[in-house]
Parts: sequence; structure tokens; C-alpha cells
Amino acid sequence: MATPIHVPRINNNDDEVKVLAFDVKPGERVSAGQIVGQVETDKAVLDVTAPVDGYVLGFVAQPDEIAQVGSVMLWLGASASEPIPEAGAPTPDSSTAGPSPVTGKAKLLLARYGVKSDAVTPIDGRITVEAVERYLATHGLAAAAPAPVVAVSRPAEPRPEVPGTAVALSREEKGMAATVVWHRDCAVPGYIEIDYDPAPWAEYARAFQEEKGLLMPPLLPLMAWRLVEVARTMPRINATFVEQQRYEYGAVNLGFTIQAGESLYLAVVREAEVLDAGGFVNALGDVLRRAASHQLRESEASGATIGFSSMERWKVTRHIPVLPPHTAFMLAHAAARNGRAVLGASYDHRVLNGGQVVAALKKLSSPT
Amino acid sequence: MPLTAESIAAEIKARIVAIAAELGDDASELGPDEIIPATGLIDSAGLLDLIAWYEKTYQIPLTQAEINIDNLGTLARMAHFVLLKKGLV
Repeated sequence: MATPIHVPRINNNDDEVKVLAFDVKPGERVSAGQIVGQVETDKAVLDVTAPVDGYVLGFVAQPDEIAQVGSVMLWLGASASEPIPEAGAPTPDSSTAGPSPVTGKAKLLLARYGVKSDAVTPIDGRITVEAVERYLATHGLAAAAPAPVVAVSRPAEPRPEVPGTAVALSREEKGMAATVVWHRDCAVPGYIEIDYDPAPWAEYARAFQEEKGLLMPPLLPLMAWRLVEVARTMPRINATFVEQQRYEYGAVNLGFTIQAGESLYLAVVREAEVLDAGGFVNALGDVLRRAASHQLRESEASGATIGFSSMERWKVTRHIPVLPPHTAFMLAHAAARNGRAVLGASYDHRVLNGGQVVAALKKLSSPT
Repeated sequence: MPLTAESIAAEIKARIVAIAAELGDDASELGPDEIIPATGLIDSAGLLDLIAWYEKTYQIPLTQAEINIDNLGTLARMAHFVLLKKGLV
């Protein structure tokens, strides 16, 4: 049975991507993991790989075409002569390949549509939201779009009285708007900060860097790792709110903000809780380098369950970050002043109360 | 133009000067053997920018294990590492 290769999601906020090119031709044999083409958004270019061995049957999308995330990009078959399934035909499942891990958000989506995980083709070995969305789109169950959220109904904003020109938003600007609208309409955001002495953290990071011979100062990665540790012992900070319930994620996917040129990414280290400090620092370093090169992989640009943001670089001494969609805790690190600093957190008050946030911040304010 | 340690170091220094300037710092006096992170001229995000540029400019994909002080800690070491990776030394 033919296997579809779907248009991947590069980041949470782009539902469409541009098909750049194909590296294969119809009839060509490809191996699992082989790059078959590329897609791009304003923010990044992503290689698309074959999920299985097979023969290229044909292309559905075309180079330079704007394609919907989750739609079929090309088809692979067990033989070069296999026919391409008609549009709307069922796609094969992955049940013969053994069970794949299912992310927390994907579980929510599966439950919402009554779909079993073994019917969904994994992405990077996991059943992710993107994988479920592809399944839903392929089976006519829903458009390939993020999980629906109930937004507050607001009256349309009146046009300003002062004459001006309406300028269409770029994809990145649309993405930022979507994130802040989720924060405004879906979360019940709060912000708390505590004062702390940054010297022990600085010394801990200095010793770690010296011991490991690291080029990159590891302070922020180590603080992010501490957040992962705290999330492991306080699962409610690694959670979201769905259908009147707190949903505690089964993995800690740490999202770390990074500004790369004009692009702001939330680079994600998945299942960070299984790593040790050194492993996490290396893993975060890898994804941050790819973000800096606008080469984030699909699985590294989405799926955050908790967030870390620092504005120390700009000497900002306090900032209140926006919560990424479907998270409840975003740590805010800032620059020290006169030997003191603040450590803050934006949080979803449906999931956490102030006391719980303070407890987490106190744990985070020291390296041990 | 053939790659030499001197020409590579000069290119890298120009990039560091540009990154530092974005943060309001002047890196024009950076010496070839100064430990770059220890100078405080560029922060961790600036170093990320530098490494991403270094990989792309010299076409030498790095592993995380290679990104250390011994290989990339100074202008001279970064230049030497390019030549080493390209089999030119």
C-alpha cells in the first residue's frame, strides 16, 4: 500500500509552507531517512525525509507551491508501478511498526476525535500533534490546524479615525499575534517574581564550564535544566488546562526562546527529563545552533510543555513573557543589577496558584 | 584565494567585531590568543551566532563535542581548526 509523505509543520504558527524542491524523481528508489525535498517558511528551511524504504510514485505538491501543513506532498510505494491512491483514500497506518510514543498534546487531540494512536503515522518516531493533524486532514476529520481552542468573543476593533495604511502581517508576525491571542483569550495569565542572589548560579556555571571545557557559557542552559528538574518534581508546572481539567504532560519538552536575526524561535528539547545536566546542555546547544542557522527540525520547533525566556542579553532587568500555547509556566530570567536579580514566571492561573509559582521560583533561584 | 590561518582569523575577528558592535561593545582590540568567552565581548547568544556563521562560512559542520575551548576558544584556535577540519594542516 502506498505511503504518503505529508507536508511537515515547521513551527506552531505557520499552517502553510512553501515547497522548495524535490531531491528525487518519480520511479526512484529511496531509503528510510533519505531527504526527498525541502519546504520553507519565512523562518526556516526544513528537509523532508522518507519515513520508509520505497519508490517515488509521484508528487502531489509542486516546487514553489504554497502547501497546507499535513497535506500529502508525495507518495511512496512498495514498487515503482504501484498506483497513486485517489484523493481522500485512506492512508496506511503504522501498526506493523510497533507502538510509538504519544505526546501529551497528541493524546488530547486523539481523545477529542476518538482516534486510536496506532492509526497515526509517527513523525520522528513519535505521535505528535502534527502527526494527528495530518491523519485528521487526510481522513477528512478536520483541517490541518492546531487543536481548536475556545477564544473569548470580542467585538471587532474599530478602524482608527486617523488616516493610515493597512500593512499585511508577515508569517512571523501572524505567529506572534496567534501566540499572544492564545495568552489573552485562553490562559488566565499571572506573573510573579522573586528577588535572588545570582552569584551562586554564576559560580556554579563557571565551574561547570571549566570542568567541561565548554566554549559556550552554560548559565542559561543549566538554569533551564534546573527548570526541567523542578518540573519533574512539580508536574503541575509542566501542564496545561483542557476541558475543565489540568492536564499534566507525560514528558518535559523544554522550550527556550532564541532570537535569530529578526526571527524569534521557541527551540524545544523534547523529553528533557531523561537527560542528565551535561546531556541537556549539549542537546540544548544543538537545537540553539540550528535555530541560529534557521535550520530547526520540525520536532524542535513545536511541542513545548514549559518555557524559559531570558532577556539578559539586552540588559533588561525585568520582563513578563507571553505564555506559549498550551503551557502553564514560562520562566523569565533577566539581567542582574547591583548584585541582585529577579527571577519571574508567567503562569496560567487555571493550573497554578501564586504559592505554587513562588515555590517553584525559590527552587530555581539556586543551582542545588 | 587560499585559506591561511591569518586570513581566517581576520575574517573571524571581523565577525566578532560586528557581533560585539550590536551589543554596543568594541572588539577591535581582540588578540589572536585571547580566550574569546573570557573577554566578555560577546555573550552566549553572540557566540551562537558566531558558531553558526563559522560552520556556514567554512562549510565545517560541528558536533557539540567539538565546540569547546580547546578547538574554538581563541581566534588562532578557530583558524587552526578550520584548516584541521579541511585537512590543510
